[in-house]
Amino acid sequence: MKIHRVIGAAAVLAALAVQPAAADDQPAKSPLDVDQLFATVCGYCHADGGRHAGKGPQLMNTTRSDDFIRNRIKNGKEGAMPAFGKTFSDADIDKIIAHIRALKPE
Amino acid sequence: MLTVAVATGALLAAAPALAQPVDTARISAGDPNDWLTYHGSYKGWDFSGLDQINTSNVKDLEVAWTHIPGRSTRGLQSMPLAADGVLYYTGSYSRTFALDGATGKLIWSFLPELDDATVSRQTHSPYTRGLALGDGKAFVGSVDGRLFGLDAKTGKVLWESKLIDSAKLTVGFTGAPIYVNGTVIIGAQGGEWPYRGPIFGVDAATGQKKWEFDTTSGTDEAKKTWGNDTWRVGGGGGWMPGTYDAATNTVWWGTANPAPLYDWSGGDWKNSGARPGENLYTTSVIALDPDTGKLKFYHQELPHDTWDFDSAPGEFVSIDRDGKQYMVHPNKSGFIFVYDRSDAKVENVWPIIHNYNFVKSIDPKTGELIGRRDFAAGKQEGVLCPHISGGVSWNSGSYNPNTGLYYKIGNEWCMTLEVVKTTPVTEPQVQLNIGANFEIAKPPSGEIYGHLDARDPITGAKKWEVRFPEPPLASVLSTAGNLVFVPDSRGTVHAYNATTGEELWNHGDGLGHQGGIISYSAGGKQYIAVTAGFGGMASDDYRANFGEPYKSMPRDEGILVVYSLKQ
Repeated sequence: MKIHRVIGAAAVLAALAVQPAAADDQPAKSPLDVDQLFATVCGYCHADGGRHAGKGPQLMNTTRSDDFIRNRIKNGKEGAMPAFGKTFSDADIDKIIAHIRALKPE
Repeated sequence: MLTVAVATGALLAAAPALAQPVDTARISAGDPNDWLTYHGSYKGWDFSGLDQINTSNVKDLEVAWTHIPGRSTRGLQSMPLAADGVLYYTGSYSRTFALDGATGKLIWSFLPELDDATVSRQTHSPYTRGLALGDGKAFVGSVDGRLFGLDAKTGKVLWESKLIDSAKLTVGFTGAPIYVNGTVIIGAQGGEWPYRGPIFGVDAATGQKKWEFDTTSGTDEAKKTWGNDTWRVGGGGGWMPGTYDAATNTVWWGTANPAPLYDWSGGDWKNSGARPGENLYTTSVIALDPDTGKLKFYHQELPHDTWDFDSAPGEFVSIDRDGKQYMVHPNKSGFIFVYDRSDAKVENVWPIIHNYNFVKSIDPKTGELIGRRDFAAGKQEGVLCPHISGGVSWNSGSYNPNTGLYYKIGNEWCMTLEVVKTTPVTEPQVQLNIGANFEIAKPPSGEIYGHLDARDPITGAKKWEVRFPEPPLASVLSTAGNLVFVPDSRGTVHAYNATTGEELWNHGDGLGHQGGIISYSAGGKQYIAVTAGFGGMASDDYRANFGEPYKSMPRDEGILVVYSLKQ
């Protein structure tokens, strides 16, 4: 149900929201704090915030397309990656992809 | 309410006519012809009393038969059981098989349909690490939160019990249950997920839930050790089978770590941070009454565990020596705890690994942590040892009463760590709560490696050691034939002389091992059965860090290989 999904996504975002609001050129479409998200969930498999291959593939400098990444986040991969389609909105996933594209070595 | 179609296999070969039902008395007696519970018997030895295969003839060991369970997502991680010449084992998705132990011919199969949508959202999934036998039934859990009671002769479902709301909590059962006097006991996953870590006691006859013990909140005493009521999202659980001490009618269980895995409190963990306090009963060994689930006594191995070194993975090894009764239990950190079996008083603590710095040491007389390493938020200096996969993992060691030695795999690996403040996510569905970014790292001593140690289980004195370039992740078996079997991560099963460590035989199974190994007899002949199939959580790091053969090794294949002597 769409309403349920919006409420659900809002609850996740409430826990993972950026504080304070980011000052971007454009208004933020998703308040998701992706750094927080990695340290909460993704980092279990995506080593060092996604910068290196480990349990999961390296995300920094990935040659995978946006569509591939979006599909992978939404639908997962059996026995490898969970499906987050019910957790994140399209705007959230846009932000996650932007974060991945911006990853730099530390 | 999800409607689930259950597929039952046809009865293909008759089970032996003279088989007596498996009951607690039989499991306690531990006839060497059988392997009636996960660790062989309630003693937790992972030892076979059979000696038809021994040091003089093991060179003639060859494959007798194999079985492929199918749909082996994340490999094959289970420990088979054997009773009266019938071998039982589970694959991923709770697929369960009964096979003629001499020929491998199928007797029955159970192929349940799971809630795929829920399973698709899980991380530590969809493997099923074993089953229990008792009261004419076979009991198996599922990652979507159910426990099944099957007719052991036919595989028909006699009852099904929904114990966990896995769609909401994102966890279910991956571990084997145990059977104790009419009660089936199984523990949920949970250390990484903000919930309460339940362990269940279920009536074996009806499937009705008899009791539930929540590891983060099982008593008022426990709740007081979680500041700000964080027991509600505390993690815990008990995802591997414990054991039963018949003399005192006590069930021992190992509990999982608290969530988030890594706290930012620094040394002030009693008053501040994510979960102020000791966080009972996480990372503890607990003793429960099997009929009521009431807590009898406990020892918390790591108070306020901030390293994910849970007590859940380790086996419980009962050893009587010089008039004393011990319970030996490995903690995931690589420290082996030796308890008085009557009350879990600490008798000794010894490390099996060389690379550790989460503590300076653990007091062998009291179990007190000395020089514990707590973290403030941010990048940590150097490395944390051991790695999150553990100084030891959930693969079992073996105690051999003839040599008096405990054969156990130790892992030398470390990790970088950046601790980050996180907030538990519980709506609409519970998510992991790690609290850090990290990556595997070499230990200060040099390369990552694993080692099979032959140790005195009470004192820790080392007799011999065999090194492996990558840590083996499968359980170890020792036998009355004076052999130790080690299935390694590259795919080779090794047999060593249990006294000296000399390698006497090996054979390639074609897939890395990350499950169990047992011995049993059928038709008067001894068999060694081992599961092969790599793909679990700890194995996930091997491709990137070690290259081949892990790079080309499939992650979603599995095979049961059964060996016997040439005719």
